[in-house]
Amino acid sequence: MTISNNSTIELRGVSKSYQRGKSKVPIFDELTMTIEDGDFVAIMGPSGSGKSTILNLIGGIDTIDAGAISVGGTVLGNMNESALTRWRSNHVGFVFQFYNLMPMLSAAENVELPLLLTSLSRSERKKRVETILEIVGLTERARHLPSELSGGQQQRVGIARAVAADPQILLCDEPTGDLDRKSANEILELLQLLNTKLNKTIIMVTHDESSTAYAKRTLFLDKGRFIQQEMNQCA
Amino acid sequence: MRVGSTMLVRQNLTRKLSRSILLVICIGIAFFVFGVLSSFRAGFEGSEANSERLVVASKIGGNETLPLRYFQQLGGMDEIAEVTHVTRLRAHTAGNERNIIGANAVDAQSYASVYADTYDFNAEIMQAFQADRTATLVGRQLAEREGWAVGDRVNLTSFVHMTQDASRDWSFVIAGLLDGAEPTVDTNFLIVRYDYFNAALLRNQDQVNLFGIKPAVGTDINVLAETIDMTFANSTAQTRTQSETAFMSAFLEQFADVALIVKLIVSVSFGTILLIVANTMIFAIRERTLEIGVLKVLGFSGSSIMRIILTETLVLFAAGLALGFALTAAVIPVLGDALSSVVPDLYLTPKVVATSVGLAVVFAVLTGFLPAIKALRLPVATALNHR
Repeated sequence: MTISNNSTIELRGVSKSYQRGKSKVPIFDELTMTIEDGDFVAIMGPSGSGKSTILNLIGGIDTIDAGAISVGGTVLGNMNESALTRWRSNHVGFVFQFYNLMPMLSAAENVELPLLLTSLSRSERKKRVETILEIVGLTERARHLPSELSGGQQQRVGIARAVAADPQILLCDEPTGDLDRKSANEILELLQLLNTKLNKTIIMVTHDESSTAYAKRTLFLDKGRFIQQEMNQCA
Repeated sequence: MRVGSTMLVRQNLTRKLSRSILLVICIGIAFFVFGVLSSFRAGFEGSEANSERLVVASKIGGNETLPLRYFQQLGGMDEIAEVTHVTRLRAHTAGNERNIIGANAVDAQSYASVYADTYDFNAEIMQAFQADRTATLVGRQLAEREGWAVGDRVNLTSFVHMTQDASRDWSFVIAGLLDGAEPTVDTNFLIVRYDYFNAALLRNQDQVNLFGIKPAVGTDINVLAETIDMTFANSTAQTRTQSETAFMSAFLEQFADVALIVKLIVSVSFGTILLIVANTMIFAIRERTLEIGVLKVLGFSGSSIMRIILTETLVLFAAGLALGFALTAAVIPVLGDALSSVVPDLYLTPKVVATSVGLAVVFAVLTGFLPAIKALRLPVATALNHR
């Protein structure tokens, strides 16, 4: 896999609110932050603080009310839905708390999904899938359905799928939230490996304080504002 | 759609296999009903009916007669290349009232000229037919059905026509077997000589049921039909001239509006299927809301997901159509044997096959469209929050 060009993420004066019934609930008000290329950021905060919303906004699957988000100089607000979809497939990989694998597809087929959108030939896709499954340690489980895999293995498939098309940015929404400690640590080590060896920019939302040890820094979010930042020595 | 995306279609169709199988069976039954009824209708109307030939019958109704002298008048018209006349015997085999036989008294030469495109009037059988006044030419299908052979005597009893000795019994000798020009042409009937029949009649001599007309090349058949009817407008036996196809349909509608019945049954069955499949697809797509969101996150566009859903419905309908054809093909020969006296020419016509394929495509798009458009418009963030 190649190391992509600079993909610094910048949020400038971002405001976001949701409509709940007749009232508008503000999530962020003029939020500003920068995440450098190759960073590994953990975001912590109470439920409803807007952690997942940040991931959705950076990934272009939700829209802001005001301000601007740019990734590697590309302003997301300037793109329409289909352009955002194309951009996302090239630049962003998502890892979900509950894996969200396609239940009737094997591990290998799940990993292959984002590659269907590329110009790779069938044999090239097969080779790429084999390589990625080897990286995440699931070569032996390639033909298994998600229901035949443990939670940790499913999340490995989820990560493999997220990096299959070689995006520079990985957005991880509680990636260890459904796992036991041992499996969680394995997943976090894998994410750390992707960050350190392949220079992937990783933004990880988590409730688990011990998970933050694997990130380079931790941002604490509360009521739509970053209230604290910690640099992690272990990372 | 990319070849690779077929695995998503496969995933979705096999996710709940029993549901997919039931849908295919449901669709298959609809096409089976359509195939059988449409074939029945086509067979009932007679595939040998020719839209280029005209039929002149009494304006009052098909059971009424016209004077034989019209034959000469029609023959004298420049726009008519050939004309013949046909008189129905309305008969059954002697001793079996339920075994009704299609039997017509015809003028051999002119009949062979008008219907030369439809039946094989070779010199051998024409010679045999003309050699004996009591001769009959029996259609091969009828001969096979009744177990008759050349030289056998055919004894018929007419419901209406009496011989001069006040009997309704008629006897003919089989002079030859008549084949269709094409294998699909119905030959479930026989013809006898009008000169013999007419001479033997107790009453109603020199009357015929209809005239068959082959228009001259380049003649507008609609204009010709009007001309013929105008010619006899002031006579005691007014005529109604139609194309052979229209005549056949009108004749059958005396008994039942087969076309309307077929349309009603087919519409109801397809309407029901449409609702079932569309409803099932909507539920199936709703179940997959989260997955659709994930696909969009992975970079699948709304339109590509829409195509996947439409492909699913196309595959379902294609499988249902194949099942429907298989059932129809299996049942039609059995039905054909059982109904040979009513529908002698029952088979799955290319037109029915083509119409079925067209309907399958239209219904697949119709049933897939609503869930597909919902998937297209589904916001990603909303889909990801769906559990």
